[in-house]
Amino acid sequence: MNYIVLVKQVPDVSKLIPPDAWDREKGTLRRGVLDNVLNPLDVQALTFACRMAETDERSRIACLTMGPPQAKEVLWDSLARGADEGVLLTDRAFAGADTIATSYTLAQGIRKIERDVFQGSRDYIIVTGMQSTDGDTAQVPPQIAEELGIEQVAYAQSFEFNHGLLRVTRIGPRGMETLVPDRFPILITTPVWSEPIYGSFHRARRARSTVLHEWDAKSLQVAADRIGLEGSRTQVYRIFSPSEMRDHECVFPKDMDELVELVEKKFRSQGAIAASAAEEAYCLDGKTPTRRGEVWVYIEQEEGVIQAVSLELLGEASKLAESLNQKVGAVLLGHGEEHLCDELIARGADKVYWADHPLLEDFLVSPHKKVVTELVLRHGPQVLLFGATPVGRELAPRVAYRTNSGLTADCTKLEIGDYLKGETRLVGILKQTRPALGGNIMATIMTRGSKCQMATVRPGVMRPRRADPARQGEIVWVKPDLREEDLHLKIASMKPLASRKSLADAEIIVSGGKGLGSRANFDDYVEPLAAALRRLLNARAEVGASRLAVEDGFRDHGHQVGQTGQTVQPKLYVAVGISGAVQHISGMQHSDTIVAINKDPNARIFSYAHFGVSQDFQAAVPALIEAVERRIACKKQPRAMLATSKS
Amino acid sequence: MQKTTARDARDIKVLIVGAGPAGLACAIRLKRKLNAASRDDPVVVIDKAAKLGYHNLSGAVFETACLDELVPGWREEESSILKQMTRIERDELYYLTTRRAIRFPSFLVPEPMRHKGDYSVSVSRLVAWLGAIAEKEGVEVYPGFAASSLLMDSGQVRGVKLADLGLKPDGKPKTNFSAGETIFAPVTVLSDGSRGVLSRQFTETFSNAGNPQVYSIGVKQVVQLPHGNAFGDDRAVHTLGFPLKSDVFGGGFLYSMGNDLVAVGLILGLDWKYKDLNPQGELEILKSHPFIASLLDGGRVLSTGVKTIPEGGLYSLPQLFHNGAVLIGDAAGFVNMEKIKGLHNAVRSGIAAADAVFEAVLGDDFSKRTLQQYSRNLAANHVLKEMRRARNFRQVFRWGVYLGAPLSRVQRSIPFKMKIEKDFACTRRDFELNRSYDAGMMDKATFTSLSGTIHREDEPSHIRIKEPGLCRKCIDQFGVPPCVHLCPGQVYRLKDGEILLSPSNCMHDGSCAVKCPHQNISWNVPEGGEGPRYRQM
Repeated sequence: MNYIVLVKQVPDVSKLIPPDAWDREKGTLRRGVLDNVLNPLDVQALTFACRMAETDERSRIACLTMGPPQAKEVLWDSLARGADEGVLLTDRAFAGADTIATSYTLAQGIRKIERDVFQGSRDYIIVTGMQSTDGDTAQVPPQIAEELGIEQVAYAQSFEFNHGLLRVTRIGPRGMETLVPDRFPILITTPVWSEPIYGSFHRARRARSTVLHEWDAKSLQVAADRIGLEGSRTQVYRIFSPSEMRDHECVFPKDMDELVELVEKKFRSQGAIAASAAEEAYCLDGKTPTRRGEVWVYIEQEEGVIQAVSLELLGEASKLAESLNQKVGAVLLGHGEEHLCDELIARGADKVYWADHPLLEDFLVSPHKKVVTELVLRHGPQVLLFGATPVGRELAPRVAYRTNSGLTADCTKLEIGDYLKGETRLVGILKQTRPALGGNIMATIMTRGSKCQMATVRPGVMRPRRADPARQGEIVWVKPDLREEDLHLKIASMKPLASRKSLADAEIIVSGGKGLGSRANFDDYVEPLAAALRRLLNARAEVGASRLAVEDGFRDHGHQVGQTGQTVQPKLYVAVGISGAVQHISGMQHSDTIVAINKDPNARIFSYAHFGVSQDFQAAVPALIEAVERRIACKKQPRAMLATSKS
Repeated sequence: MQKTTARDARDIKVLIVGAGPAGLACAIRLKRKLNAASRDDPVVVIDKAAKLGYHNLSGAVFETACLDELVPGWREEESSILKQMTRIERDELYYLTTRRAIRFPSFLVPEPMRHKGDYSVSVSRLVAWLGAIAEKEGVEVYPGFAASSLLMDSGQVRGVKLADLGLKPDGKPKTNFSAGETIFAPVTVLSDGSRGVLSRQFTETFSNAGNPQVYSIGVKQVVQLPHGNAFGDDRAVHTLGFPLKSDVFGGGFLYSMGNDLVAVGLILGLDWKYKDLNPQGELEILKSHPFIASLLDGGRVLSTGVKTIPEGGLYSLPQLFHNGAVLIGDAAGFVNMEKIKGLHNAVRSGIAAADAVFEAVLGDDFSKRTLQQYSRNLAANHVLKEMRRARNFRQVFRWGVYLGAPLSRVQRSIPFKMKIEKDFACTRRDFELNRSYDAGMMDKATFTSLSGTIHREDEPSHIRIKEPGLCRKCIDQFGVPPCVHLCPGQVYRLKDGEILLSPSNCMHDGSCAVKCPHQNISWNVPEGGEGPRYRQM
């Protein structure tokens, strides 16, 4: 077996970005101020490939990158860590590529590696990181798989070779799945699954004398209209600093009840990003829109329950469709869940495209992609929204690639608008805003050259509509043509995953600092506050800690937030007894709502917090918990009263 | 399983440990001579920093003449470092009282302390530039690899061993564990800087220096001033006095760095008496002086850093060569404290070593008999002459500034070697500064953060307390031990009668080990690629 590992040179945005890295006037990062590094998840992928290659000493690992000549550095780095060959795709014509054009170019590179380096052998596995820290879209790997017509195993955690049979275990939407491919090549993407492999000095020396393959557009035999800017289907409309959206002073509420009310209101009214978007709805005003067609949402359902993100997207789609005088379509796939169609209509769908087939029962990307692609090609919606969930991030890139549509990942804001510049007149198009470079900049993207505008949208950002059982809608029955033999990836076993505790995807984080003084105080104050907020807001709450609190042994390093710990951006971040050292701030400053509790009114944390309590935590935290409990109780009461009055 | 590639790398002929001005100067000079002699012996430089320049910090006002020897025609090069240098036209020396600044008339400033016509430069950038030249000559330069021990057998240096990678805090291997590689070479050039781990191993094994090495600590910030600022772009300001007491050796500096940047720093002799002296805090107090504050008005601190300076001078120089090894730059201690400069001597010592090593390569003889040519070269190219002139300069300041300053003018005529005490022995438990810092002053956490320092949090501590009982004794003696006050990175904290370590804050200056009253701190290298990230220090 041979391996191809995709590697990318990215600016190092994992840690604190120095203040001089920002060009405040242009709203961009200055080149050369940040280090260029090998994308950290690509190191994970390389580690995966090296571990697989260790099982067979004939295997070779080729690493592939696209970029300017200096991208050789990441090939040398990869060679020092364990790769055998380095391939650089470099040509001015490749510049300016979005994910579709990048995926196509890299796929051509893979085909050439197969021909020239692996002598035509198709026994190889492509391994990539889930995403890069700069683009952060996670679209390129699935789109390469789509171009090559192969299967993808996303979120791979481990592998096993048994008598030549490969089994890959991955985190699936419903638990740990063991997948068995029945043909090669396949593409595996890895999240952080292991400790990253180190580079060796002696390998690094050999790498410098290894001849790298350098291929340009001509030698790759690429179609000129599918590469670079020309081949791209998305275009950056505007880049700006997220700080433009977070001009706030810390508010010190008069009592704990007011604080709880404010926090809950802000928590429920979406993130800070969407909350600021109280703009007037777009109106066509008799103008002729550039695109026609319905506004669609791909519905995620799990065992007969519609996922919250899909309801949020239906709410958002209703607003968009209204601006465009169009209908909202919901695309629902599954087996035996047609009862969900009514709920979708009640939540804003005008039409439900319902595809029922036994092969759609589990989520496997190939059959789902096939059905959605055919629907898009037949009905021609102008917008298709997916949740930026594991399912959406796997499916959307493939549908977009197959239908040659522009796709923007991980949006936090959508709006309809016009783009009038010179000769170009685009009316009623979808402007898609998303964070990039690890949340350090915001980019507004628009789709170009494709009929359908696709986006994945962060869960928890948009607002669902209230269910209206009286709403009328149409159900379109779809008869998918799917055959068992078209599946080249089988789920061999599945075991449900106990909810994994991770700070990164918690919606609420309550963190304690050195000011807490002891581990016992962490148990007595921080944990109960997290539990109370979890109950009030009905969201996943975790406990974090500052570096000093970790060093003092209050919590282990897995809880550490900050420059040397994890970078988090939950919807609600509560900092207890944390002064706000820069190291800590850099790890949590992008949280939607920040509440600070600190007895020192001059603590730096208050310059970043939305709400502050300047009291000792031993007084403030119990009072806050009591206020949360009061609020939970009073929310239960009115409903109970309503019920009695009805009877 | 280690797979091999088609072409294996060839055996290393010369291994240079530490890619600073000395190490890279040595590499460039040597490779040029080898190239001219049509020899392609591999010359390899390794450095523990993630990128070239990241672990290099200096003031720095630089006498550039040494570059003319090293890279003839360097001024005319398209990418010349000269374009990143600032020529000093205004050279000012002040004595600061609590509120006022009194300028020394130029004619009173001793000649070695005049800097007009020199250039201010960021040594991080100088190193990056030298690295590019070295690579162009064919030197192999590998940053990101930390050497943790010198390989020696039967009185001969054989090479180095790199640090183990992928260990847990308890020293057990993680899944990505990789044992430290060994690198063998017939000759190893030790240019690992002030308090370098390998050069200390070398010195402890082979040396019998007269005086012990003594050090200063330098804390520095690069400040972005508003455009059109009053400081100007051609100025070097040195200060004496405030905030230092007269019995603390040292002074402040402000240098134009171009593009409205100013380097501001404070150098303090580590032989101070005060048990609670905090250099990072002293720099903040210096910056609050009305005169300095007016010079830095509207400025924003971009980056910070700290280093130790070996300033014992001639009589503290250790053994400079042995079988299979030579010692250059700060690793040897070629700083001229009278000039407050060391860069030019670092470069010249690299050149001197390269010339000796070149002869050794030609003769394939790396014994100390051949390498002693290095010493003769040092004498010939002014390094030792300059060191001799300043030989008792630092010593006289042990008696305080008021006595030291006039004595320093005549120290050259002191015919004998003046002894010097080790720095840690000077700390007195009844000497206290009791500083308080204003709210607007930078704290240590911010200072640390702006150095860009980074370490894997779950690695074994690279700083080891040899005997915890001694720390408790130190706490009994001093209350708060000096390391807690001294370290700008807050690596040492006192909690419930124990010293707690935050090794990930470390900026690799090594001042803690110098000043520890019980010499109870052992500093080794962490994994390669860690530590501070100085881009313009």
